Amino acid sequence: MTVEETIKKDIETTFGELVRVEIERKHRVRAYTPRNMVLPMLAYLKQRGFHQFTLLTCVDWIKDGKFELVYNLYSLNYNVHVLISTKINRDKATMPTAINVYEMAFDYEREIHEMFGVEFEGHPRLDEFLLEDWKGIPPMRKDFDTRKYVEEKYGMKDLTKELFTRKEQPYRGPGSNG
Amino acid sequence: MKLFKFAQSRSLWMMHFCTGCGAVELPPTMTSRFDMERFGIIPMATPRQSDLLLITGYLTVKTLKRVVRAYEQMPTPRYVIGFGSCTINGGMYWDSYNVIKKLELYIPVDLYINGCMPRPEAIIDAFLKLREMIDKGEANAWKKYIENYEWYKKNQAEVFDVEKWSLKK
Repeated sequence: MTVEETIKKDIETTFGELVRVEIERKHRVRAYTPRNMVLPMLAYLKQRGFHQFTLLTCVDWIKDGKFELVYNLYSLNYNVHVLISTKINRDKATMPTAINVYEMAFDYEREIHEMFGVEFEGHPRLDEFLLEDWKGIPPMRKDFDTRKYVEEKYGMKDLTKELFTRKEQPYRGPGSNG
Repeated sequence: MKLFKFAQSRSLWMMHFCTGCGAVELPPTMTSRFDMERFGIIPMATPRQSDLLLITGYLTVKTLKRVVRAYEQMPTPRYVIGFGSCTINGGMYWDSYNVIKKLELYIPVDLYINGCMPRPEAIIDAFLKLREMIDKGEANAWKKYIENYEWYKKNQAEVFDVEKWSLKK
């Protein structure tokens, strides 16, 4: 049995039906977890040997009305990444903070709060991080129209529009009849 | 007057505001191969002692605040060189939500160096051109800032909170 399979079996025996675990490829295990099981899962994996909190990221599934949060953990002993992905509601998105388990989550949660507008409950400092004086919806959401925003705020015309709606025929080389 | 211009144009002290990747091209320009010191240009640490502000690369809104503050601290006559395509029209950040596109809306620019990235030869060329402009009395962008102060402040206010960030008189 490989390391990935052992980890998969351990997670399944601990959490049972609640969690669906897949081995995506070598060195990578993915666990699809409901929202309320994420913190127990993080706590379990931390004492299981996954000491490194590599990344917390967010995916905007706008058609489903969901945000997908992906917690990326790594273990130097096993050389395996475990991705814990959970889906939360897109409007008024909230998530309990993970900083009590992994302190590293502090800045990632601030970033995701700023870029996607997810509220992390219990986070002590969800204020301005990378953007300053930002007004309007968070920029990494799918319904944020970057080009319109740029046109309005920085007075820069979107040149691609003119480029692709040009009337004249493209040049097809010498001797062609157009 | 001519003597003043002669002296000014041949002892430019430069503050390079290394915001983007353009900073990479400056060490070869400063050091022995291209050696900009033969034109009397030396890098300076603070804006209060420098004549020339070199803005190398893209500016986010966050950085623009600092650039404006640095620019306003410089003694007149002061010159600005916009370096790379990012300062002209945003360059590769043309549709980024947090990068300003036209530098000249916020501070006056004497000279642009086109390119992504401009080579040290182009930078030296721009310095010589600026020297020529100073000798002829053409590098007057700093006067534009004083004359059209309200206009520049209005443009700056569109992207950040000017009240909090300009120097108090």
